[in-house]
Amino acid sequence: MRIPFFSMFTRSPFDELQEHAEKVKECAWAFQQAIECYASSRCEVFEEHRQQVITLEHAADDIKRSIRGHMPKNVLLPVEKFQLFRYLREQDSVLDAVQESLNWLSYRPHNNIPEALERDLFLLVDAVVEPTEELSRMVGEARSYLRSFSEKQREKVKAIIANIRQMEHEADQREHALLRKIFEVENDPVTVLHMVRLAEIIGSVADHAENAGDMMRAMIAR
Amino acid sequence: MLMPMEYVILGLGFILGFHMAWNIGANDVANSMASAVGAKAITQRQAIFIAGILVIVGAIFIGGHVTETIRGGIISPEVLDDPQIALMGAFSALMAASLWVSFATWKSLPVSTTHSVVGAMIGFGIVTGGFGVINWEVMGAVVGSWVISPVFSMTIGFIMFKIIVRFVLTQNDSFSAALKLSPLFIGVAIFVVVMSFLFKTPLGTAMAVGDITAMLVAGVIGIAGGFGGRNLLARLFARRGEQKEPELIFRTIQVGTSCYVALALGANDVANAIGPLALIYFLTRTGAVGAELPVPFYLLLFGGAGISVGIAMGGARVIRTVGSRITHLTNTRGYSVDFAAATTVLMASKLGLPVSTTHAAVGGVMGVGLARGVEAVNFAIVFKIMIYWILTVPAAALTSMILFKTIEFFV
Repeated sequence: MRIPFFSMFTRSPFDELQEHAEKVKECAWAFQQAIECYASSRCEVFEEHRQQVITLEHAADDIKRSIRGHMPKNVLLPVEKFQLFRYLREQDSVLDAVQESLNWLSYRPHNNIPEALERDLFLLVDAVVEPTEELSRMVGEARSYLRSFSEKQREKVKAIIANIRQMEHEADQREHALLRKIFEVENDPVTVLHMVRLAEIIGSVADHAENAGDMMRAMIAR
Repeated sequence: MLMPMEYVILGLGFILGFHMAWNIGANDVANSMASAVGAKAITQRQAIFIAGILVIVGAIFIGGHVTETIRGGIISPEVLDDPQIALMGAFSALMAASLWVSFATWKSLPVSTTHSVVGAMIGFGIVTGGFGVINWEVMGAVVGSWVISPVFSMTIGFIMFKIIVRFVLTQNDSFSAALKLSPLFIGVAIFVVVMSFLFKTPLGTAMAVGDITAMLVAGVIGIAGGFGGRNLLARLFARRGEQKEPELIFRTIQVGTSCYVALALGANDVANAIGPLALIYFLTRTGAVGAELPVPFYLLLFGGAGISVGIAMGGARVIRTVGSRITHLTNTRGYSVDFAAATTVLMASKLGLPVSTTHAAVGGVMGVGLARGVEAVNFAIVFKIMIYWILTVPAAALTSMILFKTIEFFV
């Protein structure tokens, strides 16, 4: 405090924002493995994967709280503070949706996914993991833009956002395909309920990733 | 013939003056050099070296005006008829300011040396001659400058960074844009520096340079230096051929702006150390306040050297800590902050206004922050500074008054 000049530089929230995005990425991978495991006939480690996701989600939650908690009222950032918070909320919702989908799966005993639906389910999972993985790269590039103000760098971030939007669109197609397929091949109402809800939750993972992209687009607007 | 008592007071005055100078060197220099060190434009050793030399240069050649203000501007000298009382008062003021700076360092409070000295001088004036002795017009200008200088620095920092964003960083070929505009970034700084050496200074008078001539000379040197600097940069980077980023150009320019900042610091802050000392000096040597006599060269040198010693002994540690803390200040930001702070302080020095270099630096960071240039700036510190600003002046004044009464009691 004797030297006010350096008391002005507080911890940057972007470090933690990136850390949070990394957690999202790790979570997405654990989620992918968990689903594959669940669908296979001899899965022993679904619960382990689910616990891993829960642990990651908790860690990410701590980061989120730390960002919000360590943002004194008078801190000025390169972006609007509330835009940053809204972005963070969307990024965090990705995790919540991932966790929720695994919870939903766990309510029913293993290996209850009809074989005819497996392929479509895996396609959907892959389709939602892709945009989720992009988030941490997007945060990194956006941070670099806010540092350099380079137009080229801004275009790069915009390209990632457009890419995420495209991926979400594809994930949507997969979700529709899966839903149609469910009603085609399944007659057991319980399985239909379980599968429909599962498809919806997994689909929402990509939706939140897309929303995060939209928030980022607003943050890097000139 | 000096009385033995006066010898003692003069000797103690030199010690306290040196203590003030040392403190300025050890603490306040970090404000001006840390951004360059943090942005890796210069090493810590280079920062110490640059600051050590240029602070003395700034103190000797530009520091006279502000010292005059502290010595004879705030208190009307003619009211201090009794040299004995005036001497005790000046000594109390110097000691009070010294105590406050020590207290601030000990308790880690954001107290400005400038405000301590001005507050102590006010206390001295009030206790010796009542409120009428205070030259309220000068005082108003001084207090006004305390409000204006951070705002002014903030504005320059904001505009400078916006110019860099608009005309350099967002350009397609930002490296070439930075090189093309470098005469502006270098030239303006050189213009202000040359102006402060020639405009209304003993040096300018000695060289028979009028005000308009001074401006013309500064303009020519500024333009020449700006373009010369660009050619140097062009040659430097043509040879290196490394990755061409605009930040690298500003990294090189920042070596120059660090010198600029050190110069401004010497020009303004030397008065905090030797303003009251100059008063004691005149009282013991001539028996009068001697407002007409300029502050002797060697007193300014003494103050500048004191700051330098402070930099060498205590500044290194502070600059290291600060420099490592502000790593997310890139070279374009660092340049904007340095330029804003140094320009503000040098201009204030020319007007004889004792402003706080720390506040100017803080203002510069705020400007760049408002231009969205920093990842996270905490503005809360500004309110804290304001509180200490309002507290320091009366507290130092009161300390000065109490010391005066105590000394009076024993003499």
